[in-house]
Amino acid sequence: MGKVQTIENMSIKKMPVEKVLVIEKLCKSFGDNHVLVDFDLELNKGENVAVLGKSGSGKSVLIKCIIGLLTPDRGRINVLGQNIDEMNIRELDEIRTKVGFLFQSNALYDSMTVRENLEFPLRRHWIKITVAETERKVIEVLNNVGLLHTVDMMPAELSGGMRKRIALARTLILDPEIILYDEPTTGLDPITAKGISNLIKEMGEKYNTSALIISHDMNCIRATSDKIVMLIDGRCYTTGTYEELKENKDPKVKQFFE
Amino acid sequence: MAKKTINNVKLGIFALVGLLVMIFSLYMIGKDTNMFGSNYTLRVRFDNVHGLTSGNNIRYAGIQVGTVKKVKILNDTLIEVSMLIDTKMKNYIHMSDIVSMSTDGLMGNRILNIAPAKDGSPLAQDGDLLVTKKSTSTDDMLETLDKTNRNIKDVSEELKMTFLRINSSSALWKLLSDETLPNNLRASAVSIRHAAVNADKMVADIHEIINDVKAGKGSLGAILTDTTIAYNLNEAVVRIQQVGDHADELAKQLTRIAETIKQDVNTGKGPAHAILKDSSIVINLNNSLSNIEKGTASFNQVMEALKHNFLLRGYFRKLEKKQKEEQQKAGY
Amino acid sequence: MSLPRTWQRFLNETGELSRFTGRFFSQGFKPRYEISELLRQCYIIGYKSLPLVGLTGFIMGLVLTMQLRPSLISYGAESQLPAMVSIAVVREIGPVITALIFAGKIGSSIGAELGSMRVTEQIDAMEVSGTNPFKFLVVTRVLAATLMLPVLVLLSDAISLYGSYLGVNIKGVTSLDLFFKQVFDALSFDDFIPAFIKTYFFGFAVGIVGCFKGFNSKKGTEGVGRSANSAVVVSSVLIFILDLLAVQITDLFGLN
Repeated sequence: MGKVQTIENMSIKKMPVEKVLVIEKLCKSFGDNHVLVDFDLELNKGENVAVLGKSGSGKSVLIKCIIGLLTPDRGRINVLGQNIDEMNIRELDEIRTKVGFLFQSNALYDSMTVRENLEFPLRRHWIKITVAETERKVIEVLNNVGLLHTVDMMPAELSGGMRKRIALARTLILDPEIILYDEPTTGLDPITAKGISNLIKEMGEKYNTSALIISHDMNCIRATSDKIVMLIDGRCYTTGTYEELKENKDPKVKQFFE
Repeated sequence: MAKKTINNVKLGIFALVGLLVMIFSLYMIGKDTNMFGSNYTLRVRFDNVHGLTSGNNIRYAGIQVGTVKKVKILNDTLIEVSMLIDTKMKNYIHMSDIVSMSTDGLMGNRILNIAPAKDGSPLAQDGDLLVTKKSTSTDDMLETLDKTNRNIKDVSEELKMTFLRINSSSALWKLLSDETLPNNLRASAVSIRHAAVNADKMVADIHEIINDVKAGKGSLGAILTDTTIAYNLNEAVVRIQQVGDHADELAKQLTRIAETIKQDVNTGKGPAHAILKDSSIVINLNNSLSNIEKGTASFNQVMEALKHNFLLRGYFRKLEKKQKEEQQKAGY
Repeated sequence: MSLPRTWQRFLNETGELSRFTGRFFSQGFKPRYEISELLRQCYIIGYKSLPLVGLTGFIMGLVLTMQLRPSLISYGAESQLPAMVSIAVVREIGPVITALIFAGKIGSSIGAELGSMRVTEQIDAMEVSGTNPFKFLVVTRVLAATLMLPVLVLLSDAISLYGSYLGVNIKGVTSLDLFFKQVFDALSFDDFIPAFIKTYFFGFAVGIVGCFKGFNSKKGTEGVGRSANSAVVVSSVLIFILDLLAVQITDLFGLN
């Protein structure tokens, strides 16, 4: 890991802004429902970008395309310098170790304990890692999300907020470079949601990740992101910081801030 | 981790038990088919195998010793059956042991029986040809029953004629001085007539049944699956029994009468003497009596056999054995 | 296309299921092999089903014996009771009833489990975590069901014959020795082998239908319930269809 980071650090010196994710003219439709139409997006290293849109506007589809869970109809997705559609399964696997995904419904494996849940990505990716190292990582990441005591519990025994934290821990355990958040605060009470938002921000800094946050929760977006992309009618409608967009008089933009 | 190991152990036990059950049942099923263990082959020839096929059981004095390996047609009248016999039987089966065919239970599979001959012939070796004996099939049994019934019919017919003649001869009655004798005779005549009618009916019934059997699959199984026929057969058996009883009684009475008459005739007492000196009547009467006796005997046999109901086979085998012994005593 | 919609849906479903089965065969036997997950599924699907299957098997043998007795007595063939029950159990009732119970227990649980995994994105999460969810979830479960049902049927047969032995002893008397002697005398390989082989197909049907329904579950909790339910219904019907095929095929080979 250390070696890779030095190379990246060198490249940062040469090129101050490194694009970790570039999406060009992405199209995806289900039948007659055109969810994404020529969608463009860029994500720079260390940047947190929020994609804001109504429910069903194709935000989830967008990030599932990025991670290769869905295949776009047209367009190019470049992740860490590699095109997703050109990769074989092995390369895709490798990219997926560098791109974390926090699912909307957490997707914790019900039949496994928290420990097994956290170990799962480590075991399943073709990573050579010792048992002691695995254990150390599990403890470390649990400590970071503040849930060390739940290590031998089942997901069903945890509250919604705790599950979200565990899910985040599972995403973080692979030391990803990009994390995709799919509606991280949906279904949580405002206080817990605030806690999760802060945790996302905190972990982003701690693990030095870039993040793409899909949400319609303005508080969360305000707390976590540097830039907002408005996804309306399948296109990148407008971009800007929270403050910039708040001042925008366009009714389509304005409705999100009311 | 420890839990996983325990689960795997449980799974292992589970799979092993399943495997054991399978091996055990395969072995138990296969035991009779001689798939396991060593055996040798003996041959036997029949003119009709009555549906015997490979895999049917072979018994030596009632003990399971092997299975039929192959049934092969040699020519239009000869069928060769190869038998797989347990090697352990090599010291028991002799060259002159008799192979016969029978059925395992009333509706069971065909089996081959090897009956020990007990005559000190050499032991049978691999590939030897054993001798056979024609078996009693249910068809044959029914045929015998049919014949018996025809005989009975003839006998009763004859008896009827005889007594009609006696009845119509009014001179005889007038001349007979003794009062009791004609009464006896008259009573006998009524009984006989009754018996004859019964016998007629019964014969008709049996005929019907036999026809049914022949028209059907030709096995007793066909009758017994059809409950109405089975019921008819039962009724027929009851009737046979009745007739048998009657005939029995009748025969006794006739004997008594005949004795009285004989006495009378011999001593020259009474006027019956003259008429009864007519030798033809006496001969007729004698014939009838002996016929009746024969008929009664076979009736009783049939009755007894059918009383055994599902053990028919056993009874007839016993009878055959006895007959054979008698033959052997008489013949060889 | 003027086909009624229900027919269209049925044919579409059949086609999807066939494709799913094809996918099982094309992916199932290539690395990477999920051996430890397969063992775990075997444990859950096989070992954990034994009590239920054993209980139904036991009751089945007992009841069958008691029901057959009167009619056999009317033929005077009461002694044939063990033979009759053993043939009925080994040839038909054991495999089919066990498979139906198995479909009820395993088909529904696979359908519901995979359905809820689909709905809560666990299947997507698996894919993201470098695991082929089809291999990890579907192949292991289908193989486990295929391998475990025959074992369960064997054990269930044995247990139901023991139940039958007790059934004989309720109104009559026989020894365990004599009973099983009669049982094995009545059975031949022709009874045992085709019945045993068809259980593999039953197990496969239950596994593949359960996985298919669960894997393609619709969003929402209702979708999960529907997956579990239709997994049981479809696999039960498939079991009977396979049974029909099996009897015709064995007949074709002259094994009846």
